[in-house]
Amino acid sequence: MSLSLHAEDGLDRGGAGTPLLEARTLTKHFPLGRGAVVRAVDGVDFTVMKGETLGVVGESGCGKSTTARVVMQLIPQDEGQMLFDGEAVGSSALSLKDYRRQAQMVFQDSFASLNPRLTIEDSIAFGPMVHGVPKSGAILRARDLLARVGLDPARFAARYPHELSGGQRQRVNIARALALGPRLVILDEAVSALDKSVEAQVLNLLMDLREEFGLTYIFISHDLNVVRFISDRVMVMYLGEVVEIGPVEELYDDPRHPYTKALLSAMPSMDPDNRTMEAPLAGDPPNPINPPEGCRFHPRCPQAQTICSKAKPALTPVGAGQRLAACHMEIPGSGHSRAPALEDAA
Amino acid sequence: MTTPLVAMENVTVRFKGAQTVHAVNGVSLTLEPGKVLGILGESGSGKSVTLKTLLRLLPESRTEIGGKVMVDGKDVLALGPQELSDYRGAVTSMIFQDPALALDPVYTVGEQIAEAIVRHEKLSAKQAMARALELLELVRIPSPERRLKAYPHEMSGGMRQRAMIALALAARPKLLLADEPTTALDATVQIQILLLLRQLQRDLGMGVIFVTHDIGVAVEVSDRLAVMYAGQIVETGTVRELLRDPRHPYTRGLLAANLHGAKKGERLEAIPGAPPPLNEAPSSCSFAPRCKQAQDICRANLPPAVALGEGRLVRCVQAEAALQPA
Repeated sequence: MSLSLHAEDGLDRGGAGTPLLEARTLTKHFPLGRGAVVRAVDGVDFTVMKGETLGVVGESGCGKSTTARVVMQLIPQDEGQMLFDGEAVGSSALSLKDYRRQAQMVFQDSFASLNPRLTIEDSIAFGPMVHGVPKSGAILRARDLLARVGLDPARFAARYPHELSGGQRQRVNIARALALGPRLVILDEAVSALDKSVEAQVLNLLMDLREEFGLTYIFISHDLNVVRFISDRVMVMYLGEVVEIGPVEELYDDPRHPYTKALLSAMPSMDPDNRTMEAPLAGDPPNPINPPEGCRFHPRCPQAQTICSKAKPALTPVGAGQRLAACHMEIPGSGHSRAPALEDAA
Repeated sequence: MTTPLVAMENVTVRFKGAQTVHAVNGVSLTLEPGKVLGILGESGSGKSVTLKTLLRLLPESRTEIGGKVMVDGKDVLALGPQELSDYRGAVTSMIFQDPALALDPVYTVGEQIAEAIVRHEKLSAKQAMARALELLELVRIPSPERRLKAYPHEMSGGMRQRAMIALALAARPKLLLADEPTTALDATVQIQILLLLRQLQRDLGMGVIFVTHDIGVAVEVSDRLAVMYAGQIVETGTVRELLRDPRHPYTRGLLAANLHGAKKGERLEAIPGAPPPLNEAPSSCSFAPRCKQAQDICRANLPPAVALGEGRLVRCVQAEAALQPA
């Protein structure tokens, strides 16, 4: 059985160069009782174009994994909407079942995400069988995919997850994610648990598969080097909100949001003659329960002024125009002394 | 020449069981007082086992340790129970990856630090608590008086890591062993802890052995680096030497895999395959099956440890060849 590209199967509706996924004001809160609420994802907007890789970075508690789970519809959002290739997810035009066939996810823990009692070929064939593919066809396809991710089916198909190394298991998880022929693959820290030499192999595999199957990736990672390498655009999250989003090189070369700057300068220098002398931020990332008013970064921001604790900055175009940042210093006439004057905006 | 603080000579560690695991296979290393050695390696390379050998933390009944381990003039492998107990904490102390596991959940941070102080110094409980407060100030925990009475679960990850460092420093050790202490931390917190460790090391003049899988982290804190693979040190040198002129193919592969300066969209120079199983002591180069430059001799014999200069060793037959001008 061959793995068809979507241009031929009529699934691609809008054509190339249109958004594959549009997330509008996605919100997910987890109530803790006694009035406390974890505002894990709080009004997140982003677009993923067809064929591109959107990197998502941020520290623990910033909402990147919750965003992934909402996008996958593993948990329902409280508010907001998602459009997949122009159709609302969960509507009559695109049922949840159809959507899930086209969007798949790979998790960080390669062992926990595989059923220990299924052989790996059965694990990979499971999804297609649920979606109505006969067992013999699903197994054939599973073996095809195993070969595609670099695991010889003759040696590996009948093995159980505990008989594989971490890198091999993650290849199985990638094969399983591809079994339904998805168009969007969400990789949530998918290479983070791997050793560096194995991580490079899996990154090469992900790039090959992206090209071969015309995939679109949402690549979540705390490793800024990896994100820079694999992404076309990057979204930086802080306490449940997007603080900056834009093309990868532009964002890394000229970060505009103070948090993006801090995150990038916290990267080890890799130069013994030019070591980091000062930590860009003090303290730990705050708890997303009852986040600060106004700009959520203001209590840790070296440039914070009165306005920052009062008003929430909206995402504003910065740089060459492809990029947005949510900072009062970038909003004309915001009241921050370093904001551009209003007339410059025109 | 000063006597080294740490001198390990041809140390081997085997774990016995249904299958013998050859975790460390002939490691020799030295550390001068007041210096920082980074040990770089992937899972199963033997870096943590090497560290635990220095503190005799491995289960005695199942572990066979060979070779010689000298720390501060003491033969660590020959210490009796009482001597070992005096040695731990006062001469050598250790910090771990997960402070939530390393700290006792049912005692306050202050009680735990004071307990360690009283164990090694003749101080009253009150004096010990005062010194615990000093230690929390030393590791720059905000509002230390309050934190002294806090339980580990009441602290954030970065704060707990600072508390564990304070605990490790309680008996003024000469050697601090750090086993991936920043791996579980967020990027902006990791750099704070690295800078703190670097400053404490300088101020207190401690020797530090810092184990990590992250080259960036190792470069940030170390004077010298040792790269481990399959239980052996395959290359040592100063940070500068290893970064600018890596000689072992494995070191080169690791540097390439770090993606620092990797070109977008280009395939990575990934090391193929996976590390070898450790159920046999190596009789040839352990890296040969994954090495692009491997020759017949690499698969037949153990590679020589080629000395390229003071403290610069490369365990590869081609280390010298690379020295000759082309």
